[in-house]
Amino acid sequence: MIEFIRTFFLDLYEVAPRWNFIFFHDKTQWERVLSGFWVTVELSILCVIFSVIIGIVGAWLQGSKLKVPRMIVQGYIQFFRNTPPFVQLLFFYFALGQFTPTFSPDGWTQVPIISNVGWAIISLSFFAGAFNVEIFRSGIEAVPFSTQEAAESLGMSRLQAYIYIVFPLAFRVSLPALNNNLVNLVKTTTQALAIAVPELLYEFLGIWNDYPSALYPSLTMVFFIYIGLVGILVISMNRWERALRIPGYGT
Amino acid sequence: MSARAIPGVNTRPTTDLPVLLPLDKTRAAGPDAMMVSRWVAGLPWWTPVALLALIFAWPLTASAASKFTYADAVTELIGWLPFLISKGFLFNVLISFFAMLIGTAAGVSLGLAQISNNVLIRRAAKFTTQAFRNSPWLVLLYIVLLTVPHEISFGAFYVTVPGWMKAVFGLSLPIMANISEVVRGAIQSVPTAQWEAAEALAFSRMQTLWQIILPQIFKRMIPPWMNWYAILTMATPLCSLLGVDELINLSRQAMEGSDNHPELLVPFYGFALLIFFAYCYPIARWTMSLERKYAVKL
Amino acid sequence: MFNTMTRAAVAAAAFGMVLAPAMADAAQCTNDTWKKVMSRGKLVVGVKADYKPWGFRDKSGAIIGMEIDMAQDVADTMGVKLETIAVQSSNRMQFLEQGKIDLMIATMSDRADRRKIVGIVGPNYYTSGTNVMAPKALKISKWSDLKGKPVCGKQGAFYNKIVTERHGAKVIAFTGNAEAKQALRDRKCIAWVYDDSSIGSDLSSGNWDDFEMPLSSEDDNPWGLAVPLAEKNCVFGQFMSGMQHNWLQSGKLIALEKKWGIKPTAFLAGHKKRLKDWLDK
Repeated sequence: MIEFIRTFFLDLYEVAPRWNFIFFHDKTQWERVLSGFWVTVELSILCVIFSVIIGIVGAWLQGSKLKVPRMIVQGYIQFFRNTPPFVQLLFFYFALGQFTPTFSPDGWTQVPIISNVGWAIISLSFFAGAFNVEIFRSGIEAVPFSTQEAAESLGMSRLQAYIYIVFPLAFRVSLPALNNNLVNLVKTTTQALAIAVPELLYEFLGIWNDYPSALYPSLTMVFFIYIGLVGILVISMNRWERALRIPGYGT
Repeated sequence: MSARAIPGVNTRPTTDLPVLLPLDKTRAAGPDAMMVSRWVAGLPWWTPVALLALIFAWPLTASAASKFTYADAVTELIGWLPFLISKGFLFNVLISFFAMLIGTAAGVSLGLAQISNNVLIRRAAKFTTQAFRNSPWLVLLYIVLLTVPHEISFGAFYVTVPGWMKAVFGLSLPIMANISEVVRGAIQSVPTAQWEAAEALAFSRMQTLWQIILPQIFKRMIPPWMNWYAILTMATPLCSLLGVDELINLSRQAMEGSDNHPELLVPFYGFALLIFFAYCYPIARWTMSLERKYAVKL
Repeated sequence: MFNTMTRAAVAAAAFGMVLAPAMADAAQCTNDTWKKVMSRGKLVVGVKADYKPWGFRDKSGAIIGMEIDMAQDVADTMGVKLETIAVQSSNRMQFLEQGKIDLMIATMSDRADRRKIVGIVGPNYYTSGTNVMAPKALKISKWSDLKGKPVCGKQGAFYNKIVTERHGAKVIAFTGNAEAKQALRDRKCIAWVYDDSSIGSDLSSGNWDDFEMPLSSEDDNPWGLAVPLAEKNCVFGQFMSGMQHNWLQSGKLIALEKKWGIKPTAFLAGHKKRLKDWLDK
């Protein structure tokens, strides 16, 4: 099967020299594409997970009785909600990145402890997390106070009430807004190309720079892979949303 | 999804023990496109001054072994300025201007097609809008640059299509999709009462649209439209990856002409940042003031 | 059996997608590009604007350099005006294919896969090898010292993948040479891989005294100028072959080398000697 694919694309290259699907018949290029694909997927998944965690923790802190955690979260939200993610990415990598400590594996090269992939994950998670805090907060506020009082009267501490009663309800109610935000996040991860994160588009760029005959196939693949990834995400999110929808709520 | 009356959710509660309160939609909204203009407009007035100071007084961390000082680098930059501005930035502005022109014209038609009564037109328009909104701008640019011919001939007479014009077509595609969404959203924000009243007064659909609905929303569409212009201008450096001669590419060629000393990086790219900011800042301020002015509830 | 089946399938599938230019055959020369240049009175040549001193910009924005002088010579010989268009490694072959440029003299290395797309005609007018600029402190002495190490390079250079595949180095490709050199200064990589002549001129400029070019140049890869593939065996291709032969024989390229400050190469001296006219004493 694999051999058939290899020979098919090699023959295609013989017939049409501008359609060299080199990543299908050359092992090194295939590995490049695969590594780029995994970096894109890894970036998206890690950013989604971290931003949701930040959202949950932030929403919890926003309801705190103490002033300081509330102020910290408010400041964080104002900064990250009101600046474009591209600027945040560049700021984290170039400005904060200058001050990261480095270590030297060979006595001369300086390797920073947070690589550009690390900064991309940090920056994008914080960006999406700021919106998630507000989304979860508005979900929590949709749970009436009487429900929390009832939980308190049953002897639950504030944390227990949050974990077992309030948050599950809040999550279900804020799911559509959350989905929207996460799809936006996945689309925003492509901007990490600016700080040379070796994601899918970066690898394809490298391939068509090295092999000009692979230009048209690379472009076609990038186009369909991106549409495919975002499309799959949107469809699965919509399915999940529809399953958890509360009929008549919020129409 | 018709409005079934659910007590406590969308009608008055019958008891004082509600189960779930309604969700605060504006708070739970995600990042909106207007964020870019809002952020640029919100920067303090002294930002370009600070940028200029940074370019001229970048901390000298250059290695002592280099004879090419930072002052030399800034002098080189000043020597290249006329070329960079007249052949470089001018083309960025030209590309953004024409791409906005074409994108707006196509976007308005696509937006109107999205609310068409004909199912086929509506579906096709919706599909086109979503496809071009979600594709990476770089890929669309490449596809257009490779498929549009470099010259169109009418017999013996021929017209060359320069690279920057192809970039205009390429960038107008995502703009068309986004303007189409702006138009559709604005039309759908008009209360249905207006449509019904127009129908009662025997207006045809076209008449309603052009004489009643569009004049109401026209002013309110201007801030998002200007916002997309700012985003487009800041995206024109993407064309540099395609070999179009605009500011970033010419900066690189100028650096090469000055022997590619690493000391040139901060002055040249700093200048690019400064000139883009100087262009987009007044536009963003104007956008936000118009948004405040036109924020009238229908 | 299986092979012919695959071929049939491929041919059928590719029928709708084939963009292959017409194969040039001396018996079917239409000389379209030549006729177009002559009738318009203008030769459009694609040259580099970011590779000093073969093609670069001066402060007024005009493109100057060794290859531009060569292009001017071609235009003068044809009796037409010269128009230069800046090209990059990523689009030079496309522009030639699409007809946007008539001739391409853009520091392109002559490779087998490139000959399938554009008409590279010999004899090759120049050659260059790959080398690295590394800090003296690291005492790199052979190519295998680069194994597994990060090496900075410029996007689009064909030797990036050779250095990766043959020596196991990890090439980090930057968009421009200034960025690559800055990364070297910032110690993000242990060496900068590029053309040996460019590295040589950088080292002699006095700004890189801590660095050296320690390895022996590899992959002496001749450069090729190109005409559209259909013209390769027709008038234009044969004419460019003749131009290159005469440049090599008359020493014009050696003079241009001197004019633009390139270190004299054994390649050009060797060719001049080899092609010496038997009547010249």
